[in-house]
Amino acid sequence: MTSDESTREAGTSDGEAGHLTSRFAASKMERLRTALTGLGDEIRSQQRRALDSQQEPSTGTEWGSLFDELRRRVGTLGMAERDPTVDDFGMEAGFVERLNPLLDFLYERYWRVDLSGEHHLPAKGPVLFVANRSGLLPWDGMMLSHAIARPPAHLERPRFLVEDDLLRLPFAQAQLARVGAVRACRENLDQLISRGHSVIAFPEGARGAARSFRDRYQVGRFGRGGAIRAAIEDRIPLIPVGIVGAEEAYPRLGDTAALGRLASLDLGLPVLPITPTFPLLGPLGLLPLPSKWVITIGKPISLLDLDPSSANDDVAVSHLTEALREKVQRLVEQGLDARTSTWL
Amino acid sequence: MEQPRCIAFTGIDTYFGQRLIARLASRSPSMRLVGLDSHDPPHLAPEMCFHRVDLTRPGVGADIAEILVKEQVDTIVHLAFKNAPSADRDADHEIEVAGSLEVLHACAEAKLGRLILPSTTMCYGPRLENAQQLLETTPLLGHEGAHWVVNRVQVENAVERFRVSSPDCAVTVLRHCWIMGPRFSDPFVRYFEPEWVPTLLGYDPLLQFVHEDDYLAVLEAAVLESHPGVFNVVGEGVLPLSGYLRLADKTNIALPRVLLSRIPGTPIPLASSDTAEGFHDYLKYIWVASGERLRSEFGPLTYTSQEAWSAMVSARRLQHFR
Repeated sequence: MTSDESTREAGTSDGEAGHLTSRFAASKMERLRTALTGLGDEIRSQQRRALDSQQEPSTGTEWGSLFDELRRRVGTLGMAERDPTVDDFGMEAGFVERLNPLLDFLYERYWRVDLSGEHHLPAKGPVLFVANRSGLLPWDGMMLSHAIARPPAHLERPRFLVEDDLLRLPFAQAQLARVGAVRACRENLDQLISRGHSVIAFPEGARGAARSFRDRYQVGRFGRGGAIRAAIEDRIPLIPVGIVGAEEAYPRLGDTAALGRLASLDLGLPVLPITPTFPLLGPLGLLPLPSKWVITIGKPISLLDLDPSSANDDVAVSHLTEALREKVQRLVEQGLDARTSTWL
Repeated sequence: MEQPRCIAFTGIDTYFGQRLIARLASRSPSMRLVGLDSHDPPHLAPEMCFHRVDLTRPGVGADIAEILVKEQVDTIVHLAFKNAPSADRDADHEIEVAGSLEVLHACAEAKLGRLILPSTTMCYGPRLENAQQLLETTPLLGHEGAHWVVNRVQVENAVERFRVSSPDCAVTVLRHCWIMGPRFSDPFVRYFEPEWVPTLLGYDPLLQFVHEDDYLAVLEAAVLESHPGVFNVVGEGVLPLSGYLRLADKTNIALPRVLLSRIPGTPIPLASSDTAEGFHDYLKYIWVASGERLRSEFGPLTYTSQEAWSAMVSARRLQHFR
């Protein structure tokens, strides 16, 4: 209270910088106070005990323990109460929880996501979701994992895989990991599944993110069949998902070679997209547009009857991959039919 | 061979050399300990016999083999690695790589039963393409800009060849991550010691640490029991770099790469052939190793990464108050 008030006083007289530094000092004082609270009581109780048992010669150990306590408290000064726990994949559960209101707003108000086929979601994981990738930033992965984590489905939040190009961006790597994004590679997928996490994979990868507006909702080739191989080898069901709306959130009208070279040089971006707002509005143009979204969850595909060794059969895998791509394409088309307008 | 009868050590004057010898001498007095080093150690345990050996001298392998046979050594712990990389790249190479080759040569000649040597998870190299948890089978790509990492990778490759050519020798390689603790110090610990830590703007990789007591316990277990293989010695759990700094109430000064490499003496002295990326990339990309194999073979460690970090920070704060 008093320290807080004096801080404010100092702030108004010293201007902005002074305000910041004194606030900084105040927070340090606050921490010192929390670190040392209760120490006085402890000393008094130890003193009382020492006085009570004055005849006994063993009071030295009591004072020793008090000293240890003081040591511990001074040593851990300022290290109290905060616990930024992350899991092995860098996801910060507390941060995602704090982010939930924003995600709910985006889900309900901004993009007005229509979720269909949620009865296909299994009660127990892990499962591998396979969806079409679109849009510069991975909002599609965020929204799909949020759709699965929020009521009514209310399952454990699946992690979503992101392409390398996105992680090469400064700042993106740390922030994406905090909200549950994991770099797309087979080792990470296997590690996630062996720990019981469901995973959202976008086999189109960067090509999906860089698709031009003219080709929107044409689901591209599905990589080298990593998703199918993982599903066969890790014995988990695949769930195809079609996401409609993310293409319009970042409509990519084109990119120029010269700007692209500049981008790959300095920003590490795979392409410099030109959208109605970017680069015209600068970083503000990275805000996604409020398109109407439809997420369609398809019927789970079980590959359990396949022999694990068939994961090495390239012909079979490529057939299965193509079949999976067609399923996702059909779900996307279903979503497009269900949506009456792009923006409303 | 279960319990070793006679253990030889190289690098007895290193921090872990001293502590390991003291521990073994007090806990297993029946064992004979043989020390090999280039200079007389200041404090030599009374139960230890000492031989002066200069690992950088050509052909020293045969001499070591002779000592090993004469003393009937069955286990060797090779700890003669530099705590801090020096500016003299060639001298570092001589002692670390050439010295290790001589020791391996001696092991093969004396037909030793067990070899334990440390390595580091820095050998995997910091790369964007790294998996979230690197297994022991991951190829060691190291980092070209850091000669001390390159040296360790060369040693590991030599050990791999030795393992194939001498199948009777049980080789244990302990790849530790950055070691933290109340007393241990090396350039990486010193980088984290100040209250203001310069980091790379825009990057915040996950890091892991191992407590010095845990590492020592694993070293001791590897000496006393037979655990052939390669193990990542890493504490459980990870935190982003900024998370550790926040936990310790240290100030994170995020600087662009250009500025960070211009801060004098930060983070570690580099040889002329080293690049700033040789350290900065370890603050940029992920190089977290999986400790699963270690835990299934040696049992769980006492401290997590976070506890190891807190132990280091609180010990340094107390020194400050003293």
